[in-house]
Amino acid sequence: MTVDDEMEIMGQRLNRKIRALFGRSLSIREVDAGSCNACEVEVNALANPVYDMERFGIHIVASPRHADMLLVTGPVTRNMELALLKTANATPEPKLVVAMGSCACNGGIFGETYASGGGVDRFMPVDVYIPGCPPRPQAVIFGLMVAVDKLEQKIKKSEVKV
Amino acid sequence: MFDILIKTLRTGRVTSKYPIRQDIAPEGFRGKPELLPDKCTFCGECARVCPPGVIWLTKEKGEEKLTLSFCGCIFCGMCEEVCPGGAIRLSQEYELASKTKDDLLTIIRRSV
Repeated sequence: MTVDDEMEIMGQRLNRKIRALFGRSLSIREVDAGSCNACEVEVNALANPVYDMERFGIHIVASPRHADMLLVTGPVTRNMELALLKTANATPEPKLVVAMGSCACNGGIFGETYASGGGVDRFMPVDVYIPGCPPRPQAVIFGLMVAVDKLEQKIKKSEVKV
Repeated sequence: MFDILIKTLRTGRVTSKYPIRQDIAPEGFRGKPELLPDKCTFCGECARVCPPGVIWLTKEKGEEKLTLSFCGCIFCGMCEEVCPGGAIRLSQEYELASKTKDDLLTIIRRSV
């Protein structure tokens, strides 16, 4: 079996998993909460032919109402705090929140000041942390795969509760 | 127009085979910092120099503890540069995503 065949099978498997969980593709809304734009450049790179995340059935959408996952970058500055909370409220459940980059994880180089919130987890529960400054596109793909696993667990848990 | 077409056909497939084939980071890439407990002298120089302040040296009764959190680490490599014993090394590992913050900690201890 060639590498291309293997890749196709792997992509199909991930695609099938996502489809079984959501009933459709995984849609991501990327939220810039005061990032320096390095993380945005890496997210842009994910959509190019080299990293091509659409082969796994992962899409970036333009509205939080269409999204299953929020990909938050930046330390959540005071000006973006309300916008982030509004976006999170507009996203339908079950949603995933992924903190991408060191700033979103912990405040990173910006730390915690009067203008900088110091991490996404101070404002909403975060499902997956992707450290890196900025993370490589491969690291982001790995993080998204971890996030899909987490959603599977979440859905199983809620089924048990009901 | 034909030039572009010929160039496109010659380029072929460029998509990386990442999740199947391990994509090794290039030489000099600064990834996950690794602490070597045998070489560390607990001088605290790395904690002093760390720009985001994600390295802490704590002293409890009879124990010294050096904690490094990748959560917030900017992978600048200043700790590696400043360490006198070479106890911190930035590896080429970049797959660091985790579900909890506790998984992102590295702790080494020494009894005093």
